[in-house]
Amino acid sequence: MSVVDSWVQRLRGTLRPIGEMTHWQRLAAALDLHPTDLVPVAPELDYWQITHAGYSHQEIYNDVDKTTDACLRTWADLRCDAIWMYVDISHQIENFLPAERRAAHFVHRGPKDYLLFKPLVETLDEAIALYESRAFEKHLADSRAVTHYTPHMLQLLEFQEKMDRQVPVIVGAASPINYAETIVEVQRLVRWTITESEDKVRHYLELCLAERLEALDFYRDVAAANGCQFFCVFGGARTWGPRQLEKFGDVDRRFVDKVREIFPYVFWHHCGHNLPQALELLATWPGIKGVQYDQPYHSQKLSWSEFYEITARLFSGRRCAMNAPTTQVACYGTPGEITQMVRQFIEATVPHTSAVVMPGCEIDSYAPVENVRAMIDAARTMA
Amino acid sequence: MNDESDLLATIAQGVVHLDVAVVRTSVESAVREGISPFRIVAEGLSQGMRTVGALFRDGELFMPEVLVACDTYYAGLQLVQPLIEKDNGRIAKGKIVLGTIHGDIHTVGKDVAIPVFRAAGFDVVDLGTDVADEAFVEAVRQHQPDIVGLGTYMTSTFMHTNQTVEALERAGLRGQVKVICGGPAVDVRAALKLGADGATDNAWEGVQIMEAWMAEVRE
Repeated sequence: MSVVDSWVQRLRGTLRPIGEMTHWQRLAAALDLHPTDLVPVAPELDYWQITHAGYSHQEIYNDVDKTTDACLRTWADLRCDAIWMYVDISHQIENFLPAERRAAHFVHRGPKDYLLFKPLVETLDEAIALYESRAFEKHLADSRAVTHYTPHMLQLLEFQEKMDRQVPVIVGAASPINYAETIVEVQRLVRWTITESEDKVRHYLELCLAERLEALDFYRDVAAANGCQFFCVFGGARTWGPRQLEKFGDVDRRFVDKVREIFPYVFWHHCGHNLPQALELLATWPGIKGVQYDQPYHSQKLSWSEFYEITARLFSGRRCAMNAPTTQVACYGTPGEITQMVRQFIEATVPHTSAVVMPGCEIDSYAPVENVRAMIDAARTMA
Repeated sequence: MNDESDLLATIAQGVVHLDVAVVRTSVESAVREGISPFRIVAEGLSQGMRTVGALFRDGELFMPEVLVACDTYYAGLQLVQPLIEKDNGRIAKGKIVLGTIHGDIHTVGKDVAIPVFRAAGFDVVDLGTDVADEAFVEAVRQHQPDIVGLGTYMTSTFMHTNQTVEALERAGLRGQVKVICGGPAVDVRAALKLGADGATDNAWEGVQIMEAWMAEVRE
């Protein structure tokens, strides 16, 4: 029996209801800015769930069934309002590399450590050449995007459909600017936005955008066609200032223009120190229903409650606010601290807009399960 | 203002305005005018970095500008560094060996921290990125620093802080250094639990922490 059928057989008809809505209805309603029975809770458990299910990251690296098993086992245990796919950086950039160069670019430090990586090229000319040669296409066939990511995604979507859409699977893809940063390492692109000619930087970003728009055809034909409706855009430009956003930010917006034609529930992942201007932009770009935001920018001297409230007011009537606790507190804090942060977030947010309990970035493999349970319990026990 | 002050102010403004050409030309002029290399750094380049820090704190400059300001600072520093190394009169506030924890190749934090620390008067030994625990131990033996700086961009590498600290303990070196963690993923309470003495995600705050430590040592 397949891993999906095994879990469907175990769970179908046996799950106790949580609240009055299904998980799918709850998350969809929040993203539509409609009332929900409970505040949805959907932490990004993509690689935390691997170790929670008892696997090491090395063990699942080439094993699609174990990867999917980890996600479904974790969902059955915690009953969050969404299932996040497992994703790692090799899914994103391995297809830019010939097979013989891949081992040098990806590093498994330890059984609980997320996959580490090295930049593919170091200069803007090299980055442009990489895209102009369509390296991503040449090396795609045997890359993990094809051998691991796609079959894993399809298994989770099969589970979603066979469970009658009780719980949505969240599929995600990186934005063009996120790619532009990852290919060369973020610190290089950030510098080039100032030190290189605007035309040359834009040319690079346009190449990244073209590749991403082509990739969306895959998401339309494979993900959406198999039932995916909830789509996370992993945004870039997280260390940019207002000048960079003004000059080049439209590249990510144009990507969203196509995403929204494919998926009804699109939200934006914006981790790091969030520049106020970036949050304002995300509040206006058409097609984004929610923003998974993170910490206030360095210069904003705000308490968490103040930041939650400012963001909720900014999003009022326009966006669902997705946050709490911080990924740091989720990993290093106590269950009591996590409960308090989640409650502060909900109390500050729901008077203004809908809320989803979802830390600004992925839950680290080292986060204790008690902390993840505290986050879920806090959301479930607040009306 | 006299000519020397004008020249030093021009250097500082060059750093703030991210103008490498102005900084290089002005530093060269300052050297020719006989201004001491230490003044060129302290009142020119480092003054520029302090202004950049204040503008960053006030939300007028952002990370991209800060990174390029650091490069601009370095462009000037390269010209006077050989002269400074001959200048026996300079007393550093303290010495720090700093690197990014094993497995982490991001330099965005370190690229800011090192010039800010140098501009504040610390000697900095840069161990680079993806630094093994044993390399930190060896560097402490070799350079005898007051402080070890562990940079990390990611939570998963930050979680290995304790392994680096334990390596220093096993080598019998932990007692002679303070350990500070830096980077966007660090959390002060977690850093203390993991065996460090402090942590920050802001290089200028890092200077304040380290200055306080050095004041304790001197007392």
